[in-house]
Amino acid sequence: MTISSEQSVYREQQRNGQSAGELPSVEYSLIRAHVYASLATVLISASFGILVASKFNFPEFLGGHAWLTWGRLRYNHTQGIFFAWLGNAFLAFFYYAVPRLSNRPVLSRKLGWFLFCIWNFAVVLPGWVLVAAGFSQPLEWAEFPLVVDAFVVLAFILMVFEFVLPFLRARASDLYVSAWYIIGGIIFTMLAYPVGNFVPELVPGARGAAFSGLWIHDAVGLYVTPFAVAIAYYVIPATTRRPIYSHFLSMVGFWVLFFTYPLNGTHHYVYSAIPMAAQKGAIVASVYLGMAVILVVTNQLLSLRGNSGTASKDVPLRFVWFGVVSYLVVSLQGSVQALMPVNRFIHFTDWVIGHSHLAMIGFASFIALGGIAHLWQRIPGTRYNERLMNWSFWLLAVGLTLMITDLTIAGLVEGQVWNSSAPWIDSVRAVGSYWLVRTLSGLPILAGFLLFWASLVTGPRLSEALTSATSRVTSEDIAAFEDAPAASHELIPTRWLSNAHVIAFGAGVGFFALSFLVLAILPGKELADEIKRAAPVTMPTLTASEQRGRVIYGREGCAYCHTEQVRFLAADVRRFGAPTEAWETKYDYPQLWGTRRIGPDLSREFNLHSQDWQLTHLFDPRLVVRDSVMPPYPWLFEGSANQPTQEGLDVLAYLQSLGRARELSGFDRQAMASNDTSSMSDMAMASEPSAEATPPTVPIAMIGGYSPSAPLLHPASDPNDLREEVSRGGILFAANCVSCHGPGGRGDGRASASLLPKPANLTAAQFSDERLSSVLWNGISGSSMPPWRQFAAEDLRALVAYIRSLNVPRAPSAASETATLDQGKAFFAAFCGSCHGSSGAGNGPTAGVLAPPPTNFHLKRPTEERAWEVLENGVPGTAMPPWKDQLSDDQRHALVEFVCSLYGTPQENSGQ
Amino acid sequence: MIDLIVIAISAIMFALLLVWWRWPAFRVWIEAPKYSMLRQERRFDDRNAARRTSFDL
Repeated sequence: MTISSEQSVYREQQRNGQSAGELPSVEYSLIRAHVYASLATVLISASFGILVASKFNFPEFLGGHAWLTWGRLRYNHTQGIFFAWLGNAFLAFFYYAVPRLSNRPVLSRKLGWFLFCIWNFAVVLPGWVLVAAGFSQPLEWAEFPLVVDAFVVLAFILMVFEFVLPFLRARASDLYVSAWYIIGGIIFTMLAYPVGNFVPELVPGARGAAFSGLWIHDAVGLYVTPFAVAIAYYVIPATTRRPIYSHFLSMVGFWVLFFTYPLNGTHHYVYSAIPMAAQKGAIVASVYLGMAVILVVTNQLLSLRGNSGTASKDVPLRFVWFGVVSYLVVSLQGSVQALMPVNRFIHFTDWVIGHSHLAMIGFASFIALGGIAHLWQRIPGTRYNERLMNWSFWLLAVGLTLMITDLTIAGLVEGQVWNSSAPWIDSVRAVGSYWLVRTLSGLPILAGFLLFWASLVTGPRLSEALTSATSRVTSEDIAAFEDAPAASHELIPTRWLSNAHVIAFGAGVGFFALSFLVLAILPGKELADEIKRAAPVTMPTLTASEQRGRVIYGREGCAYCHTEQVRFLAADVRRFGAPTEAWETKYDYPQLWGTRRIGPDLSREFNLHSQDWQLTHLFDPRLVVRDSVMPPYPWLFEGSANQPTQEGLDVLAYLQSLGRARELSGFDRQAMASNDTSSMSDMAMASEPSAEATPPTVPIAMIGGYSPSAPLLHPASDPNDLREEVSRGGILFAANCVSCHGPGGRGDGRASASLLPKPANLTAAQFSDERLSSVLWNGISGSSMPPWRQFAAEDLRALVAYIRSLNVPRAPSAASETATLDQGKAFFAAFCGSCHGSSGAGNGPTAGVLAPPPTNFHLKRPTEERAWEVLENGVPGTAMPPWKDQLSDDQRHALVEFVCSLYGTPQENSGQ
Repeated sequence: MIDLIVIAISAIMFALLLVWWRWPAFRVWIEAPKYSMLRQERRFDDRNAARRTSFDL
């Protein structure tokens, strides 16, 4: 050390109350407290994660308790990892590293304990309890409620005092790269957190999503990454006793990371209504980020050159090495995922879940574990069990590798199914086994965390542990940096570079502000203008009930399985309908676009399913969708699907409002009439090669409505082909229809108890191909029969063949007497014509306002028994009343004879 | 947007590399913290070792 720098250090120590040569104190008790808190909470958080994962295979597991439902556990899993585990681990590291890096103690021990209490007893614990009790915020990485967010911000302000102030008197040449990352991470998270957590509550829909997207990435880029990289840069030289490869490269990496990370956020909303310029800016920034990470990781791995033996023997260093390699993989993966050709395929799939687990466990958690294990060996009075630590590493490494591989493949499978014409539920069925493997892969990870804890409370005490650790460092290793250049401030003559850190810090804040300007504020202004221009003046707001339902929808985590954004992609439009425009979200506080699809998108739910279907689905999804993995919500009902609570009705109201504004405003009809399509959709759709070749099978804004353009599906005429079709149709029917229609097609499926009108008894009538084609294509309005037009034409044809096979037409009975038929015709005209039309074509004067529409007897011939039963009892849930009190047996008999005679005869003008 | 990001990052990288290449003193200055960090680490280890020795005695 030069004379001037020695004098400088001396003066600083005098000011801090330290004597010359005295080292600052280290708050070991606070380190211990945060380490114990981190390990206790990681076990809880990982357990939440395993429960969440297991519910994909066993959705009923703990499904009767609101506090343990999938959505709330999922919130607590990610927030627990984020705040409880990583937050405490990082704080433990700060208390260890800041005195060493700044040569000053942290500001105050009392402040430290206050911060510990704030973090654990005002953020983590109440956050978990409030989320479990149903008070949350449905925004990714911001799920703890706003009251908890206030304490998070307070905690970061306290961190500035506790950990940043000791660095303020340091010169740039004294600041090691880990210090830069600690300072940058604390300051920038303190700035970004309020923007990501509070602004979406104030800025609606697409504009809010722009801010949310920034926070999703800032949470990783400005909170997790800087602190993890700080640990890696600290542990590597401290363990190998050799300086890092290049401090210059480490600083270049630092600034490029802090410049590009905040610019990445919008890559979570590629192909959305957010302006394409912002999307593409985020994509380019993502590619740059990948290059920056290559630089950082290369520097770190080069710092390990010649120390492969140390890295293999020293378990903490091995944890860090694994984390560094994971950092490289996950960052390159992230860059590739942002590219549009990849993003359109894998976004919303389990691939992304694998990516986030690789980031949070493979990268951040492994490095945090390495940091804890490293510092633990240097705390007086602690124990350290190297054997258990080694087991912990391998359990975590094996479990994580299995999980990432499994989820990545699952994501590819989901993407493949979503881009096909297969029904949505096929993607759920296709990855069931992968979800099971994912759950099982969580067990070794949980065991690894458990053993890690055990390794810190068993084994030899500190003196032996340190001896063991230092014995591997040779005197040559220590001498390697003794002759190295000292901090030579006099070598830099200009004032400019002496204050470089101040200038650079200002630049960093500038980068941060720039990201919000170019990716949130400017796109938000553009969106606001577009909304003002495009939103119909009659756009309805949500009713009070719908608004309450929206809150419950967010509370239960529905947005984490169902997106509310149809992307500007042909595959999305084919499956769900018109792409989501910004104006549709103008009343969405906060936005619920979502970043994951386990269930289908719900943007166009209006008119798609009946009330009975929705309620039955909420009460027990598997009653109507056999292979659904959606959790049941029995606490929204009083014992049965027919008895929803007010909350259940509110959710129903909200679901049925989704897409209503689009449907009722006439937006699409106007747009199509004026041929006015936005440049946004042109750009995105045109970039997809298949867009032109495969136009949407779901007409815009018509997903739930009647379309007269239903294809006419005729089963094969060749007997062998017909047998094959019937067989295939039977399989499809078993997979998709038995929940309502029952295994034999008698309308007695499990869901039938709570559906009105009851599902059709398909054995009790003969249907024409035209009738079945129309129903499969359009559904039946006013009933629980949804449209199945997402099926391929050959599948629909197979279903037609199978359903027709369920009813074997009987040999005609003795020819009906003409007199009876004439009598029946007269009765029909008198009593039934107003609905069914005088000719029985379902087109009477009142038919247009009835849902379900009256039967067209030219296309459907009920069995005589069924016709008699209907005349006796009516059809509950429809406009068809019982006639047994009004009509005599003979009259009803004549009517039965008449309606059964109509099938197949020419009709004047049929209804549905 | 894309132009802005590409130009800004390229300018930062170019400026840093230019300074590093043209100014040897900068290279020494920028690398100094990696040595001072290890010195500090060793000072702490020595203190802990001294405490351990007194504890063992």
